[in-house]
Amino acid sequence: MAAMIDNGLLVQMLIGALLGVSVYLPLAAGQLSLASPAFYAVGGTLAALLSTSWPVLGAGADGTFPLASFLLELLLGGLLAGALALLVGRLVLRLQGIYLAIATIALVEIVRVAILNLPFTGGAIGIFGIPQPFPTAAGYLLPALALLALAGWVCQRLEGMPLGRAMAAIRNDELAARCMGIDTTGVKLTAFVLSAVLAGSTGALAAHFLNTWNARQGSFDTSVTMLAFVILGGSRSWLGPVVGGLLLTALPELLRPVGDARLVLFGLVILLGPVLFPQGLITPSLLERLGAPLRPASWRRRGGVAP
Amino acid sequence: MLLDTTPATSGFSLLQRRQRGALRLSGLLAAAIGTVAIAGQQGDPSVKRLPAAGAANGALTIGAVIALTGNANLYGQDQRLGIDLARRWSLSRAPQRPLRLQLEDGGSDEATAIAAFNLLIKQGALALIGPTLSQQAFAADPIAQRRGVPVVAPSNTAKGIPQIGHFISRVSAQSSVIAPLSITEALRRDPKVRRVAVFYAQDDAYSTAETLIFQKALAARGLPPVTIQRVQLADNDFQIPITAALQLQPQLVVISVQAVAGGNLIRQLRELGYRGQIVVGNGLNTPNIYPICQRWCDGILIAQAYSPELNTPINRTFLRLFRASNPGESPSQIAAQAWSAYQVLFEAVQRLQARGGLEDVGLGQAREALMQELLSGRYDTPLGPIHFQRDGEVVQGRFYVAQVRMDPGGRTGRFELVRNASAPASAAPAAGAATSPPVPLTAR
Amino acid sequence: MIESLLQTLLNGAASGGVYALVALGYTLVFSVLGVINFALGALFSLGGYLTYLLMGGRISANGALPGWGLPLELPFPLALLLAAALTGLASLVVEKLAFVPLRRRNAEPLLYLITSLGAGLVVVNLLQMLMGAEGYAFPASALAGLPAAVVVAGARIRSVQVLLLAVCAAAVLALTLWLERSRGGRALRAVAEDATTARLLGINSDAMLRLAFLLSGALAGLGGGLIGVSISLPGPYVGIGYGLKGLAVLVLGGLGSVPGAIAGGLLLGLAEAMVPSGASGWRDALAFAILFAVLLVRPSGLLGRRLVEKV
Repeated sequence: MAAMIDNGLLVQMLIGALLGVSVYLPLAAGQLSLASPAFYAVGGTLAALLSTSWPVLGAGADGTFPLASFLLELLLGGLLAGALALLVGRLVLRLQGIYLAIATIALVEIVRVAILNLPFTGGAIGIFGIPQPFPTAAGYLLPALALLALAGWVCQRLEGMPLGRAMAAIRNDELAARCMGIDTTGVKLTAFVLSAVLAGSTGALAAHFLNTWNARQGSFDTSVTMLAFVILGGSRSWLGPVVGGLLLTALPELLRPVGDARLVLFGLVILLGPVLFPQGLITPSLLERLGAPLRPASWRRRGGVAP
Repeated sequence: MLLDTTPATSGFSLLQRRQRGALRLSGLLAAAIGTVAIAGQQGDPSVKRLPAAGAANGALTIGAVIALTGNANLYGQDQRLGIDLARRWSLSRAPQRPLRLQLEDGGSDEATAIAAFNLLIKQGALALIGPTLSQQAFAADPIAQRRGVPVVAPSNTAKGIPQIGHFISRVSAQSSVIAPLSITEALRRDPKVRRVAVFYAQDDAYSTAETLIFQKALAARGLPPVTIQRVQLADNDFQIPITAALQLQPQLVVISVQAVAGGNLIRQLRELGYRGQIVVGNGLNTPNIYPICQRWCDGILIAQAYSPELNTPINRTFLRLFRASNPGESPSQIAAQAWSAYQVLFEAVQRLQARGGLEDVGLGQAREALMQELLSGRYDTPLGPIHFQRDGEVVQGRFYVAQVRMDPGGRTGRFELVRNASAPASAAPAAGAATSPPVPLTAR
Repeated sequence: MIESLLQTLLNGAASGGVYALVALGYTLVFSVLGVINFALGALFSLGGYLTYLLMGGRISANGALPGWGLPLELPFPLALLLAAALTGLASLVVEKLAFVPLRRRNAEPLLYLITSLGAGLVVVNLLQMLMGAEGYAFPASALAGLPAAVVVAGARIRSVQVLLLAVCAAAVLALTLWLERSRGGRALRAVAEDATTARLLGINSDAMLRLAFLLSGALAGLGGGLIGVSISLPGPYVGIGYGLKGLAVLVLGGLGSVPGAIAGGLLLGLAEAMVPSGASGWRDALAFAILFAVLLVRPSGLLGRRLVEKV
């Protein structure tokens, strides 16, 4: 099975995992925001435009691209997406529940149509011939993994920090959290912006990986697929969407031998997943079991008995 | 304390356990990903030696990446048929070096095409046919180019595809060459046309490129469009753009849209009262529009790179095989181009084999040699005689303008040839006589 | 000037009618269950194909079954109604598979989104496998006798669009009357208002829920059949676009509000018709831009109940 996953697919799986974490962040603060594909599209468009129209970044005539410029684009993609999220977030986060979700879906569609219609984004044809910082797909593995590790580290640390605890409190009961003095708007906005930054950087990576970029990358389909990553993977820990993203991105490709019915099977997996695993695959209790101390506690107890 | 009642979890809060669990799981995942990454790296097939022609596993693989799912599978179906018929024909020629076909679904999006290309290249394909859509080609062809795998595109007609690299070629003539022919024919039939309306699907890469070519051809004839209506591929209700255009009373309508939307557009145009000529682009170059626009399709003009009425032995063979599995129908241009892509690769392989170029070489060298052989050959295909320019662009001698003729029932129809046209002066002259005098292309 | 205004109105009303149908489908389920049934778009496509088959249409399933068709050739009105009914039944199957298992465990609303999405994917891809990718247009005999287009005070409209408008209006009217006047309708509204109280009053909530699914599927199927005869069936994905727009209308009009869905549908249809053809590329974004704007000003939609948090 491992041999069926070539490095190109592995990069796509990592991109899926990154987008999953991007949806997870607002959800950890109780906000169902499906806006990540919009920021993904923005980051990707920026990278595509910069690398093909700014010679100062050093795109070679043979289609190569300096690594430093690539990393710069990852940064810029994230920053632009973050700035956009800051602008839009204040407006959008006033909404609750399903209304927020629908508003973010609307945002995704608006961004998609905007990218399609703006004159400099290449329209339907998009931008192609995006220069490559790496000669093969395998080269993208390291940046993708690094980005994922960074995102994971941030999420992991969040749990112990006041910000993370505030997010959990809001997720539990927003009204109570506000009554306790938590700046709910600020916390929600922070989560939203962080998620946008991650999605934007991922978009920049993906644009180079895919060679071309157009308005179809990052649409409503992507929104719901990413939501599936989180729901099936587990929405209580950042590792849930990572596992969900890895598995669900690989699944249609792994199902190739099945032939014509592969997308039907894929739909069945999404249909049955929440029924069989209502809390997703990576649940808090699973993590607790994994985190059990290696030495049985009885040893410590024996050592701790007072005379 | 005589009894230690400390619970087993003392000293480890649930939070700490979760965090440790998360760390361990991350470690596991990272290890798993690393393993998969390394496993995915192994075995670059291009250094493997080719088996001998007569050996049991001597068949070489030709990969085909075709849109079998998604909205482009309308074309993919025809392509699959064309390639399959060509493969059967090639078997009947008792080839020295047998070929094996491996078909993969390229979907209708870039990522699936990339995945399919990667899969086939990794599994040691000698050459690739595909992908179906030009926009997929822009994404996937660079991968083949970097890996040194020859690609013959059966249906990519956008500008710039063969220029992606030395290994990329196509048998589908560029739309800038074909499209204006139908405009010429329409103006020939009614020289008094003054007002032209243009419709195109602005969210489709191919249609957007094609409409520019149409508009350029119109401008060259002194007929800038009175209106340009932009529609979406997903649209099927064109009431709004049609009523807007009809207010300007156009005498000629030029459409660049994909098949199903185009069929609807034509039908609605006619239903809302438009009586003038309609010229359509390559997206409607498939019999799949008949069930949609039915009797309203009658009379539309289209420029084609293939005509079933071409009377050459290879085309007669193609028609015979096609009608054996599809009685009463005629093959579409897409199917003929798919056949030609396979035929071209097959013949190049056999020629290379005959010269000994496939004995005792590595796969990488074989691919390179095949590309050279491919570019230097001449081929007699159902499209007519073709060969390649140095950059992989096809040189096709003759083109056709056809008119759709629907049967009285309105369910079936055919493309009736109305005009043969020769290639522009810069390309090779057409071989063989045409049934009516060729119409030279207007200068562009 | 008048005729172009009229033209716009007619264009808008026709597409608005279909959006309203789909939005009503969502509304019915949302009002009793509080969740959005993402499989509705797929059911829309299903209705279109069923209508086609019942009228004796032939399919070829990617060349695998050339010329296959049902041994039936029903006239269009009958085929439409029968297809709508069958789609309603299919909706019940979706309910059984995607919603009931979750209700048993009291799952959170988010999970219903995913399972219904999965169900929708299964239906659409099954349709793709069975029907193939070809576009299917209904036989021209569907509207035997009607002229291709009618002219109303200088504005042209295709007869099928008039038919579409008429059927949508009739369906909406029938539904509204049923909800207001009949026992079943009032029982449904009671369950929507407060399921526990309704049960205490002797209303079988589960049966009402199933009825809601049945009706919602039938509405979507009706829409699919109407679009099919008006425009043709370009592929199994035709319903997804309408499903998405219907969702926008649902929220625009206010979740759970029937008059809101109708008003929202017409509003959206009109707004889209008013987009000048030079900017037609932005038309798709218009639905969502309007939605966005309305939500910011009135977070619960135009006619929706305000979400009051009970502490």
